[in-house]
Amino acid sequence: MRLPDLMATGWTEIWAHKMRSFLSFFAIAIGIATFFYTLSILSQKYSRLHDAAEIAGAGRLETKTFHPLTLVQYKDLKMRLPEGSSLSFTTEASWVQSGEGWNTLFHKGNQLVGSIVYGILPSFKDADFVYRLEGRFINWQDVENKSRVIVLVVFPHEKKKKEWHGWWERENVLTLEDYSAHHHLLQQQVVLNNQTFTVVGILHLPTQDKDLRLENKREWIPTLYIPFTTWYDLYSNENENRQVSIRVVTGKESTARNAAGTLTSYLRSQFGPEEKPEIEFFRDKIEKHVKNARKSLNNMLFMGIIAMIAGGIGIMNVTMAVIFSRTKEIGIRRALGASRKDILFQFVVEAMLLGLCGAVAGMILGYMAVLHLAEDTSQMTFSWWVVALSVLIALVTSFLFALYPAWQAAKLKPVEALKNE
Amino acid sequence: MVIAQCKNLIKIYPGAQNFRALDEVSLSIESGEFVSIMGPSGCGKSTLLNILGLLDEPTGGEYLLNGMPTAKLNDVRRTKLRRHQIGFIFQSFNLMPRLSVLENIALPMRYTNVSREEILPRARELAARVGLEKKLHSTPLQLSGGQCQRVACARSLANKPSMILADEPTGNLDSKSSADILTLLKELNDGGMTIIMVTHDLKIAAGTHRTIHMKDGKIV
Ligand SMILES: Nc1ncnc2c1ncn2[C@@H]1O[C@H](COP(=O)(O)OP(=O)(O)OP(=O)(O)O)[C@@H](O)[C@H]1O
Ligand SMILES: [Mg+2]
Repeated sequence: MRLPDLMATGWTEIWAHKMRSFLSFFAIAIGIATFFYTLSILSQKYSRLHDAAEIAGAGRLETKTFHPLTLVQYKDLKMRLPEGSSLSFTTEASWVQSGEGWNTLFHKGNQLVGSIVYGILPSFKDADFVYRLEGRFINWQDVENKSRVIVLVVFPHEKKKKEWHGWWERENVLTLEDYSAHHHLLQQQVVLNNQTFTVVGILHLPTQDKDLRLENKREWIPTLYIPFTTWYDLYSNENENRQVSIRVVTGKESTARNAAGTLTSYLRSQFGPEEKPEIEFFRDKIEKHVKNARKSLNNMLFMGIIAMIAGGIGIMNVTMAVIFSRTKEIGIRRALGASRKDILFQFVVEAMLLGLCGAVAGMILGYMAVLHLAEDTSQMTFSWWVVALSVLIALVTSFLFALYPAWQAAKLKPVEALKNE
Repeated sequence: MVIAQCKNLIKIYPGAQNFRALDEVSLSIESGEFVSIMGPSGCGKSTLLNILGLLDEPTGGEYLLNGMPTAKLNDVRRTKLRRHQIGFIFQSFNLMPRLSVLENIALPMRYTNVSREEILPRARELAARVGLEKKLHSTPLQLSGGQCQRVACARSLANKPSMILADEPTGNLDSKSSADILTLLKELNDGGMTIIMVTHDLKIAAGTHRTIHMKDGKIV
């Protein structure tokens, strides 16, 4: 029998027993939903990491130190690095209480909200700078003079995803983007921990789907940048060692290892031989992310496989029942000229059609899961290979599990099958 | 020309007591013959017909179809012969309940490599030949017993067999429908078709060329 005829026969039978068919493909659907969900997330993660590696540029490395760094040290270190390298120091985040005038900006209900402040250098924007800038950025003069200037970070308006679990309420946080949409913030004076600052720039972040950086978790607390030196003046004290991140981008993968050596020896020469900076190459970091992503998804895939086995057993069960109830039909078909192969294919194709139904239902389920469960759907792209792979998995599973019962059916002797009522 | 020849056919059904359903049956059927087989219930008529139709294998003896010994044929070869040489008509019609009259008649052709475009026109032709051109899209459930058996007759002709085997084709029919079916089979036989028919009805058997009487697995 030709494939279209086999499919027509199979489809007629499936349709004639809708409820039974539905129950038997349901397990397959759940398995496929799990696969679809996992594969979608995985494919998204991979493409993101790829983009992140691209935008970060080659030869990027980072380290941290707990010693305070000075401008003199910056210049000193920069000179030692390969030509064309970018060097940037960034302080850790400091929590500040918003003062007069500023208060009205950030509050949640009646509760005052602070903001986080980073001390940065102008070279901050040498690497993965994906912002749109309004006003100006912090410049070297600000750093030299320890100016009280602020660059605000404004996240874009994004359609808020409806949270299915509902415990995470963002609704009543007045965000900077809400505020900046209606108020002119440039050149405004604001008070942070009793110090008056002037807003000189506003960084507008791209929407998350266009933000290709590796760590672009959205902050719901207002984020501010001030000059590196100003930050040290105001927010560090002798008793407390504050952490500084050092970032070097050499522009070439080949020079990165050298730069790492230079950096280590420089820090040692400054802070003594016990200084052992941990250097993190961006490429390794990406790899680590990939590994983590894989690990968490492996568990999901395992669940999917279990569900597929359950689905396969369901298919096997229904195929056996179908064959039992249609033994007479097998006999008639054999008498009319059907070969063993024809009988085998008839039941295998029927099972695979069921599997296909399961795949379609499963992908709809999986897609809904992606929309409602994934943390970040903005970068979710519909990829055909995920669809193709899901369908393939369903077809292969139903094929494998239908094979044994179908073979049993094909083995039946025509007379014996015919005698069956 | 001899179309089917049996030499000392033996069929033993294994069991606690092996049952000898056919006991050294020898017969030969000429091409174009219309033969009826009669005998009491359980005498081995269906057993014989199943062997003639290659649905079953004899325990001993020889069966030659168109002069070819069939004993050593594998399932694939037997299926091919059955598909192209033999048409079956059953007492209980054995139609596919979910298929239309047209599709039922076309079914044997679906197992051949007749091109898809030729199948339905030929099925239509056969339906007209048994007088069912107005019922093409009905399903068997919507037909009378006589009509069902006519569909089965048309179906048995689908692959242009050289021999039709009918096991009590009128067993489930009233006398009027039985007569119709007999007329139809006679017409087919007049067209040159070899027909072997099991029947319990003397009147039906009287309409055939020759009647073989069986008893306890033997021809008498
Ligand atoms: N599969 C089998 N196993 C054991 N014995 C069988 C089997 N099939 C048939 N028999 C026996 O073989 C004998 C012949 O059976 P068969 O069906 O050929 O009879 P029949 O002449 O067609 O009878 P009827 O007129 O009632 O159809 C019967 O006695 C039956 O009990
Ligand atoms: Mg019988």
